[in-house]
Amino acid sequence: MRSHRRRKQIATAKMAEEQKESSQGEMEGVNCLAYDEAIIAQQDRIQQEIANSNPLVSDRQDLSVLQREYAEDDTVYQLKIKDLYKKYSYIRKTRPDGNCFYRAFGFAHLESLLDDSKELQKFKAVAAKSKLDLVNEGFTEFTIEDFHNTFMDLIELCEKQPSLQELLNSFNDQNVSDYVVVYLRLLTSGYLQREHVFFQHFIEGGRSVKEFCQQEVEPMSKESDHIHIIALAQALNVSILVEYMDRGEGGTVNHHVFPEGGDPRIFLLYRPGHYDILYK
Amino acid sequence: MENKYNLRSPAVKRLMKEAAELRDPTEHYHAQPLEDNLFEWHFSVRGPPDSDFDGGVYHGRIILPPEYPMKPPSIILLTPNGRFEVGKKICLSISGHHPETWQPSWSIRTALIAIIGFMPTKGEGAIGSLDYTPEERRTLAKKRSLEFCCETCGCTMHSALLALSHNSNTSPQDHKAKELAQQINFKAESSSSRQPVENGSEDRTSTLTQADNSTSAGQKSSFVSQAGEAQMPPATVVEEPQIHTATSSTCPLSPRQRHTQQHTQHAQHDQRDGPEPTVSIVALTPTPQQPQDRSHAGSAVLIVVLTLALATLIFRRIYLAHEFDYDL
Repeated sequence: MRSHRRRKQIATAKMAEEQKESSQGEMEGVNCLAYDEAIIAQQDRIQQEIANSNPLVSDRQDLSVLQREYAEDDTVYQLKIKDLYKKYSYIRKTRPDGNCFYRAFGFAHLESLLDDSKELQKFKAVAAKSKLDLVNEGFTEFTIEDFHNTFMDLIELCEKQPSLQELLNSFNDQNVSDYVVVYLRLLTSGYLQREHVFFQHFIEGGRSVKEFCQQEVEPMSKESDHIHIIALAQALNVSILVEYMDRGEGGTVNHHVFPEGGDPRIFLLYRPGHYDILYK
Repeated sequence: MENKYNLRSPAVKRLMKEAAELRDPTEHYHAQPLEDNLFEWHFSVRGPPDSDFDGGVYHGRIILPPEYPMKPPSIILLTPNGRFEVGKKICLSISGHHPETWQPSWSIRTALIAIIGFMPTKGEGAIGSLDYTPEERRTLAKKRSLEFCCETCGCTMHSALLALSHNSNTSPQDHKAKELAQQINFKAESSSSRQPVENGSEDRTSTLTQADNSTSAGQKSSFVSQAGEAQMPPATVVEEPQIHTATSSTCPLSPRQRHTQQHTQHAQHDQRDGPEPTVSIVALTPTPQQPQDRSHAGSAVLIVVLTLALATLIFRRIYLAHEFDYDL
């Protein structure tokens, strides 16, 4: 009797054990599949949220919006914003999506050329020739063509002296805007590779300039550093001033002109990880 | 085709251009969109010479996302090849140490060249990758791959590519393929994130792959339903051109069987090591019985040990209870 009961108990325990095992196996499989999807879905949600609350390029706003972004007792930033006030009055924000430098540069430069047709023509010539330089460097013509055409279309739009709103609309059209970003990335990459002997010294991690370009310049959403800015400024022969605002002590905002000694027409505000456009 | 699509869409514009560019087969690759869908292409690639895939020609599908070329294409191989699972989406997106390296200036041609360059690299147990033995791969390459005929696009591998000319063996094409393969990584859709695997591989890829919900949902259900019947021939996929390829008799374990097997071992591994998602490398031997038996033996031993432990406890309990009785 007792042994019978024992056997039964064992059998039940065995069954429970088996059941547990198999359900665990299934759960694990489903979890694996669901895991990546969950991450991707979350990333998409975050991207979407950022997109909903930030246009690709915003309207021009009074610099006071910056002041409201930081707590009143955040003395480091409040002092630096006061310092910015001495030189600038307005700000135009860009979407923080990793492409902000290129978008800010692209928009600010074309905007500055709207009422300077002589400079615009000069820039158009440089831009028109740039595709050939890239092709000569080994970029495939039929793949970079669309990006170049979009970029040239925008320059031609500027020739027609459109309203600022029209330019802004183009830069807020995701297709157009992203294609411009791709082309500016290609120009940056092309210049870095052309001058690879010089730039090799500034690349960390034992990578070649080519590898650096393929990992940090050409893919979308890769953030930009000094080296990208220098390369793009020189590739297009445009001077860029960047104001650096971070948690560093001192109460003043430091700036840097790319390339050094230039006469900048474009003013960007850098806060760690992000670029916006400044106006005097 | 021209009337059907919005020519102002950047993806359409670009794909039209690529279709024209790739119209004529080359010695190494050929790809064209399906007649009724510009966003799905079929391709054929020649296995790289000086590899186990020498002499083989492999066929597959390329799915282009609506955001192409801003987002990467996905690739599905249809010819059994011993390197990639058949009929499973592999995403061309992530390089080992530097994620998200797809570049909009790359093209379908880049993807094809990368596949060729990627074939001789190790699968290393990643889901969607296979590590068949060199003999198996050679058999698939020389004997079976050329017999393949795609029902969807109607091309046969015998005539899909230009005949190889003699001086092209070490073409710059090959060189470029290898270079690209080092940069790009192919990932199975929905593979789990994994820790460095046992053989000391340096591949610490975080696997964020492009998800296509419909396909992965299908995979999910098929996995669950197939989990208990790993020995069945995998003829359950309908409307997919790979049916007749997957039921081949010379191929000892079908991809799906191997997949199931991987998951079985996976679950066991986890039971021992805790809940962290790890993928253990599975020794894929040519005989289907052996690994199955081994895994069954493992669980049987586990069950016996647990049962004995339980029995001991029960006996102890009964003994204690009786002792108590006697004391009264």
